[in-house]
Amino acid sequence: MVAVDNLSFVVEPGTVTGFLGPNGAGKTTTLRMMLGLVAPSSGSALVNGVAYHDLPDPTRAVGGVLEASGFHPARTARNHLRVVATVSGIENRRVDEVLDLVGLGGDGDRKVGGFSLGMRQRLEFARALLGDPQVLILDEPANGLDPQGIAWMRGFLRWYASQGRVVLVSSHLLSEAAQTVDRVIILAGGRLVADGPLHELLQGATTSVRVRTPDADRLVRALEDVVAAGPGDDVPTAVRREAPDVVVAEGTTPEVVGPLIARHGIVVYEMTSSGESLEQIFFELTEGAERGVRPMGQPPALQAPFSGGPEGGPVP
Amino acid sequence: MIALFSSELKKFRTIWSTWLLLGITALLVGAFTTLVAFVPRGHGPRASLLPVRGTALWFDSTFSIMRLSLDLALVLGILCITGEYRHKTITPTYLAEPKRGRVVVSKLLASILGGAAVGVVGGAVALVFGFSVVGAGFGNVQTMLTEYRHIFPGVLAAAVLYAVYGVGLGALLKNQVVAIVVGLGVTAIVEPIIDGVWPSVGQWLPGQAAQALESVTANVKAFGASNGQLIAWWQGGLALLGYGIVLAGAGAFTTLRSDVT
Repeated sequence: MVAVDNLSFVVEPGTVTGFLGPNGAGKTTTLRMMLGLVAPSSGSALVNGVAYHDLPDPTRAVGGVLEASGFHPARTARNHLRVVATVSGIENRRVDEVLDLVGLGGDGDRKVGGFSLGMRQRLEFARALLGDPQVLILDEPANGLDPQGIAWMRGFLRWYASQGRVVLVSSHLLSEAAQTVDRVIILAGGRLVADGPLHELLQGATTSVRVRTPDADRLVRALEDVVAAGPGDDVPTAVRREAPDVVVAEGTTPEVVGPLIARHGIVVYEMTSSGESLEQIFFELTEGAERGVRPMGQPPALQAPFSGGPEGGPVP
Repeated sequence: MIALFSSELKKFRTIWSTWLLLGITALLVGAFTTLVAFVPRGHGPRASLLPVRGTALWFDSTFSIMRLSLDLALVLGILCITGEYRHKTITPTYLAEPKRGRVVVSKLLASILGGAAVGVVGGAVALVFGFSVVGAGFGNVQTMLTEYRHIFPGVLAAAVLYAVYGVGLGALLKNQVVAIVVGLGVTAIVEPIIDGVWPSVGQWLPGQAAQALESVTANVKAFGASNGQLIAWWQGGLALLGYGIVLAGAGAFTTLRSDVT
C-alpha cells in the first residue's frame, strides 16, 4: 500500500510549519520517515542535509514527539528520561529541567503506568526537548492535552521557532493549527496539495460581506446590478438575504461594497466581512485529492514542487 | 557505544521485572535445592540410588540445581529486547540511536551482566544452602566448598551465555511470548527428542552445550549427562555464544529492520 507518494517539501527555520491533512493522509508515515523509523521505498528525508540515521547525536539535533511512542508502565517518568539522556551523555539536571518545563516536576518519581494521556504526552514532549534540539518534529502534540496544556504548547512552539529553530507540527485540528502556524503543508491521499505561508493561503480565499440595513431591498437591487454586469476582481458573485434586514454578498470585499452603498445613499447599521476559514480551504483542497483529482482553484502562490521523496528541512 | 551500553543497563535497573526475575531465581533455586537434598529416601532398592546426605555426591547433585538460573537468564535476555517492542519503548530507543545494529550489540553486552547477575543470585542462594546444611551437621565445609567450586563457575558462564542467546532469540522473533515459549521449549522438549534420535546433533544444542561448558570444572558424571556424550567445554561455550550472535545478527538484518509504527 502506498502511504505517501512523490512528496517533497522543505521546512524553514524560524517558523512553525503546520503539517495538515485528513486521517490517513500519510502525515505520521512522513514524520516517521523523517525520524528514521520508517524506511521510504525511495527518496530521503534530510535534517541539516543529513539523514536522521547519519546524525552523530540525533537527540541533540532533532526532537521527535510521536503518537503511540512507548513508555514502560513500571518505569518512572524520571527514569524514562534518564534512559534516553544517558545515550547522549545528557546530565540528570537537564532531565529535571525538562520535567519542570512540561509541568511534570512533581510527578518525576511516579510510574508512567499511572499517567493520564495528557501526562504521557507531556512526558513525550519532555523527552524530545532533552537535547535542546534545533529541530522539533511533532505528531499531533495536542492529543490528550487540556486547554491549558494546548495554550502552553502553542506559546512554546511559537517561542521555539522565534529563536530561529525549526518546528514542524502535524495536526488534524485546523482551528488549533490556524492559531499556531506560520506556514502550512497540506497533505491529502499521500500527496502534497498545498505548501506556503498561511496568510497567502488565506489571501487567495474568497470573502463575503454581510450588511445590516433598513434598506435591504435597494441594496439587493444595487448588488444584483453589479453581479449582472459580469465577473471581475472582487465583484460579488452572488447576493442573498440572510434575514429581512441582512444582505450577504459573496466573493467580494468591503472595499467594493462600501462605495456602492455610498453611491446609493443607503443607511447601514453594520457591515462585516468574513474570510474563508482555514477549515473551508482545507476541505476544498483535500476533497479533490481524496478523489484522486487535482484540486481546482488552487491559488498560484501555493504551487508545490513535486519531485523525489519526502525531504526534511535544512537548518542554516 | 559505552553510553548506549550504560543506557541498556539503566533499562534493566529501572523496571521491576528485572528484580522480579532475580527474586524468582533465588526462590526457585532455594526451593528445589532443598527439595532435592532432602527428598525422602524411603526404604528398599530406591534408597540406594540417592546419594547419602553430607557426601560429595550429595553436594554435587544439590548444587546442580543452580542450573535453573539458566532458564531465567534466557528469559532476561529475551525480555531485554522483546520488552521494548511490547511496550513500544523501541521508538524512543531508535530515536536516540537510529543505528539499530548498535542497539542490538549494546543489548548483547548488557545481557552479559544481566545473565551474570542471575547466575550470581542462583549461586549465592546455593552457597547459603551449603553453609546452612554444613551448620546443620551434614558433611563438612571442605567437601561442600570443593563441590561448589566444581559447579558454580560453569553455571555462571552458562547463565551469561544463555542471556546472550536470549537476546538473539528475542531479536529474531521480536514477539515476547513466542520468544519465551520457543526458548524454553527448545531446551525442555525439542532438545531431548533430537538428542535421543540424533545425539551427534543434539550435543550441540543449547542445553547440551551448556552442560558441556559447565563440565569445565564440574564432575560430569555427577551431573548424569544424558548420553554421557558431551562436546568439549570450550566448544559448548562457543556454540552458545554463536547462537546468541548469529540469531541477533539474523534479527538485525530481518525483523529489526522493519518499520517502527
